[in-house]
Amino acid sequence: MDAFDLDVRRHVYFSVVANGRPPTTAETGVAFGTGEPEVADTYRRLHDAHALVLFPNTVEIWMANPFCFNPTPHRVRAGGRAWTGTCCWDSLGIPGALHSDGDIETECACCAERLELSVRGGVLVEGADVLCHILVPARRWWDDIGFT
Amino acid sequence: MVFLRSEEHLARWLGANGFEPGATVCAPKMNELALEWWGTRLDAGWRPRPVVESQAILDRLGLVGEFWSLQA
Repeated sequence: MDAFDLDVRRHVYFSVVANGRPPTTAETGVAFGTGEPEVADTYRRLHDAHALVLFPNTVEIWMANPFCFNPTPHRVRAGGRAWTGTCCWDSLGIPGALHSDGDIETECACCAERLELSVRGGVLVEGADVLCHILVPARRWWDDIGFT
Repeated sequence: MVFLRSEEHLARWLGANGFEPGATVCAPKMNELALEWWGTRLDAGWRPRPVVESQAILDRLGLVGEFWSLQA
């Protein structure tokens, strides 16, 4: 990951926070005054380095963790926006990344009953009795990040 | 990585899907982990975190043992 890759990655994250969605390769190309193919290559390198996640066989951003851009059961309100979390960890990570309070509406994976969690000042103040389960051992998290 | 309302629901979910149990963390602990893990993601000077530093975060939170080892 070179300096340009890091600049592009920073642009992606700042765009996510500013616009609530990740930039396309065309938008990032305009921002950097460079060609879309070069940006696409950079997105792929960032994906390979686990700095973001692309939808399979595309250069569209699926996750700029902890932010997710595909529907999931995990809806997060934080920093004045509604977000989607990939999983339990990332859902709680959105207020963490934004350093803001956050409210999470989600569901029990077993029965789909609605669960609510709230973070205030970095502390979980609602949902303390909720459990989080991780199926995949840490060394294999990136084998199939969508399943993890 | 999923939310579940109780141990009973966890057992039922694992059984219904034929999953082997992994690791269960209470939501307050997951929130601590999330804050430590993702808290620097938006820093302007962000750089990839070395595995040893990521492992140290898990260790600090008591998430230790083979399941939590980031390296094979």
